[in-house]
Amino acid sequence: MWSEKYRPQSIIDMMGNEDARASFVEWFGKWKKGTKPLLLVGPPGIGKTTLANLAAKQFGYDMISLNASDVRNKNRIEEILSPILGNASILGSPMIFVDEVDGIYGRSDYGGAEALIKILKEPTVPIILAANSDLSTKMKSIKKVVKTIHLRPLPPRLVQLFLKKILKKENAKLSPGSLIKIISESRGDLRSMINSAQAIVTGFEPATEKSFESLDVESGVNAFFKANSIDEARSVLYSLRIDPREKINAFYSSVITSSISKSELDKMLQVLSQADMLFGKIMRTQQWRLLRYLDEILIGLYQKDSSVRYSQYNLSWPLLNRLRWDGKSIKELATILAKNMHISRSTFGTLYFPYMLFCIKNKKMNLDLKENFSDIIEKEIEKLA
Amino acid sequence: MYATRKLKPMRLDFGLKGLGVKHEKCAEIKELKCIVCGASAGCSQCEYNEDCNLEEVSQLCICKKCNETEDPFASYQISVKKKFPLLNLKIET
Repeated sequence: MWSEKYRPQSIIDMMGNEDARASFVEWFGKWKKGTKPLLLVGPPGIGKTTLANLAAKQFGYDMISLNASDVRNKNRIEEILSPILGNASILGSPMIFVDEVDGIYGRSDYGGAEALIKILKEPTVPIILAANSDLSTKMKSIKKVVKTIHLRPLPPRLVQLFLKKILKKENAKLSPGSLIKIISESRGDLRSMINSAQAIVTGFEPATEKSFESLDVESGVNAFFKANSIDEARSVLYSLRIDPREKINAFYSSVITSSISKSELDKMLQVLSQADMLFGKIMRTQQWRLLRYLDEILIGLYQKDSSVRYSQYNLSWPLLNRLRWDGKSIKELATILAKNMHISRSTFGTLYFPYMLFCIKNKKMNLDLKENFSDIIEKEIEKLA
Repeated sequence: MYATRKLKPMRLDFGLKGLGVKHEKCAEIKELKCIVCGASAGCSQCEYNEDCNLEEVSQLCICKKCNETEDPFASYQISVKKKFPLLNLKIET
């Protein structure tokens, strides 16, 4: 992926926020025990995590990454951080990075914020916090004990400068319209800009005027399985900007209703299961930054010349047909017979109906039923064998 | 008409309210600076003028002239290295 390929290798290779980066490096250069921790504030995709990673590399630290869910609970935070803070020399040169620190407050904060502030007041190793915003009143107590550096979105022309460099290296071209559209829509977020550019360049090229979001689920899933290359399939996936749950469901219903071999089905269901687990983790821990890996998991569904096509129903057609039509007739029959037998419809369906079918099959019982009921009973008796 | 007294930007001088008086800095048209040549980046003529929030974005950009050179990216990197030598700081452990 271009976003990985062109990830900066050192702090000087990054784009924009030159003053902020200089303050950040200065803080690192002068760091000694007791130096106030650092809070990096800026919108997503601006490079907060990259900056922390590169600093660890550049200054020879071992970065220990935590996120908001790790620091919500007082016991958990002490369990993770106390050994690091108390035995820094044994553990080499650790550096702590707490991402999305603005997310630790809330219903599930079990004293984590207070425990974190206590640690921030007496730092024995460099501590960097990252937040999308520092405006909430709850961030005030953290801001009091840290030095804050704001990272701003990049001006579009700097984004363009970076994009043109990538396009030149990739020997790729974009129409002036596409270029402006991608840059304007990125709003200074380099990561999303690179992903959008790769999506257009590597095969999938909607007209510039046509928004990516206009690709509906059906066209998206079909275009994915009809793609001529994995790059084209990837482009389609990126373009399919719908709710992640809806995306997984659409692929699931399409895969299980298609006529594919058992091994192919097995492989695809494994991929969907991984995607489902990732999304479950995102919902459970609210780590939305993990969402960027969803498409990389779903790309595992791609196979050239696959016969899978979109279906909105998550059951195979024969089963769906049986549920819809046969189920309706059985329900009607159960309603009548349950009333005659003075039992509930569910008791009839669960306990009586199978015995009744055996009795009819063994000619121990003869019911005078309407024609459509006779048909369904015959069908059900066939299934008993 | 501009305020004659020294005021911090965006501070209101209640004595002059309603007279259409502006602090000098507030009357200036905001422009980003070109990191390469140090001149104004020419924001008012920029093709991204409508999509660029000058107050919000990173304050150094590149002007049209410097952007049209053969390798503007290299010029940008050279300028960053020259103007922010601290960014090259490394501590060997």
